[in-house]
Amino acid sequence: MSDLVVSCEGITRVYADDAVPVHALRGVDFEVRRGEWTSLAGPSGSGKSTLLHVIGGLDRPTNGEVNVDGQRLGGLSESQLSDLRLNKIGFVFQAYNLIPVLTAVENVEFIMQLQGVGAAERQTRARETLTRLGLDDIGDRRPGELSGGQQQRVAVARAVVTEPVLLLADEPSANLDSSTTQDLLELLRNVNEQHGVTIVTATHDPMVMDYAQRRVRLRDGAIEHDESSSGA
Amino acid sequence: MNPMLLFQLSWRNLWRRRRRNGLLLAAISFAVAGVVVLNSFIRGLQVQTMQTAVNNMNGHVKVLAPGYLDDPGIAKSFDLAKEWRPDALEGIEAEMVAGWASRVRVPAVVMSERETRGVQLVGIDPAAEAISFIGDMAVEGERLSGPEDRRLLVGRALAGQLETAAGRRIVLITQGADGRNREAGYRIAGLYDTEGEGLEKAFLFTGIANVQNLLDASVITELSVRLTEDRHSPSVLSRMIDALTGLDVLTWQDLEPTAAAMYEFVDLAIAMWFLIVMGALAFGLINTLVTAVMERTRELGMLRAVGMRPRAVVVQVVVESMLIMVLGIVIGLALGMLLYLPMASGIDLSAFAAATEEFGFSALMVPKLEAGDIWLVVSLAIVIGLLASVYPAWRSVKITPLEAMRR
Repeated sequence: MSDLVVSCEGITRVYADDAVPVHALRGVDFEVRRGEWTSLAGPSGSGKSTLLHVIGGLDRPTNGEVNVDGQRLGGLSESQLSDLRLNKIGFVFQAYNLIPVLTAVENVEFIMQLQGVGAAERQTRARETLTRLGLDDIGDRRPGELSGGQQQRVAVARAVVTEPVLLLADEPSANLDSSTTQDLLELLRNVNEQHGVTIVTATHDPMVMDYAQRRVRLRDGAIEHDESSSGA
Repeated sequence: MNPMLLFQLSWRNLWRRRRRNGLLLAAISFAVAGVVVLNSFIRGLQVQTMQTAVNNMNGHVKVLAPGYLDDPGIAKSFDLAKEWRPDALEGIEAEMVAGWASRVRVPAVVMSERETRGVQLVGIDPAAEAISFIGDMAVEGERLSGPEDRRLLVGRALAGQLETAAGRRIVLITQGADGRNREAGYRIAGLYDTEGEGLEKAFLFTGIANVQNLLDASVITELSVRLTEDRHSPSVLSRMIDALTGLDVLTWQDLEPTAAAMYEFVDLAIAMWFLIVMGALAFGLINTLVTAVMERTRELGMLRAVGMRPRAVVVQVVVESMLIMVLGIVIGLALGMLLYLPMASGIDLSAFAAATEEFGFSALMVPKLEAGDIWLVVSLAIVIGLLASVYPAWRSVKITPLEAMRR
């Protein structure tokens, strides 16, 4: 098994929808090692979310190569990208993005249902994960009945229950207060350290950056500073 | 993808927009119920058109001498063996044939003490006339007793014109086979009523042997065959054409082209009616579903982001639409049946008798619900539901999950 979970080479992303093309990424080379928690930081428009989306196969680079767990994303169809996300990547979004018509436990089960995991195993794993994350008392509530912090924790539960190779979190603390953020980060640390899940977060939040083992700062679509690579 | 998951997501999504989906469900239900009920009326009119034409002494198949239609009279007559029967022909089964009747029909002049009128004198065997309106018609006085009966059945309207009544005598003049006029006086056995005055004024009935004696010709001018089902017509027709060479073997459509055209038009009318109602429904449905999908673009993008395949997203949206469509169809059919059943035995339109008579329809309107029409409604509604939902669902996966989530 390769030590590299993410490998990006010469990634550019140009948005040409408007009259003036926007260069969101300008030739980024970036790697993430297995078990590492990397935080992408930088001001708005620096390209950190774009890089996260390109790694997750939600966006395709204009140029360059992306490999996730040894699989080259460039040649994959939309359906193959869906399968890759389903089986290897967990997502945590800023806006939680839970399915409103499903209860918390059903949301956690959802990915396993897509994977074809049997009902009994699915329910056991979902309940166990919620319990592990301290959410066992809200399993039967729908997202509309949960606080922002609870929803984000359910989103983390959904993302990690299938034990993905890589967890991508885009501004996971943006809608949370500092206490809830602290809880969430402890949760992610636990997932990272106890279960060996590789994490990449894109954030403005210094608290999130502090939790990560490696901080990569982007500016104007290029890596300006990489703490681990600079030996910090 | 797990079908239970698809169903679960679709079913719960339906309950998210209760008012809108409730209205959509009501629209589908009423459209289906409306199509079913109005269709049964149109189909009822179609059946009535055919039955009126068949009852009108045509039968499904009628045999005439060549040239009779252009110059009806005893000169255009033919003879069949007394024991001749259609179901003895090869290829015609007994269960296909409801009955048959031989007649002599000639033009005649009828005179009472006060009036003279031109009529059609029809010699019948009353026992065989269960196949035509003669068997059903109401008679004041006495019916004809058999083929030898020398008395007359006169239409009530004609009796009014002649200023005569049951039990009185009237005189008939008609032309014999030799071209010379024959004249005889007959007593009126009874006055008959039909739904239209036209028949009452046109036909005088007596025993067939009586007319043959008057004309001095032991022949017939027509033979009508009534079938148990309309679908047997083509095969019976072709067998009879083969067997009765030298005679004209015609269908009721040949004899009553206006009724036949109307009968054919009903299928077109039903198809047009279907298209109009279902077309209107389709536009409403597409509009609602496009709105519903657009509102959820972000959510559908998220489903794809976490690993749901684009095709599964399309299927989920389609299943959602089809659930509401199928529910609407079931409710619509139930509603349609609730409206139809109390009317199934017929609606009395005698208050509009003048109008129904004018158009040649019975004053008792009997709607007819056919399984084929119900299947047409159901299948058309399902096809429309599929088309209306595939489009917005397909649009929702044309964009990347990221674009969808940014909306």
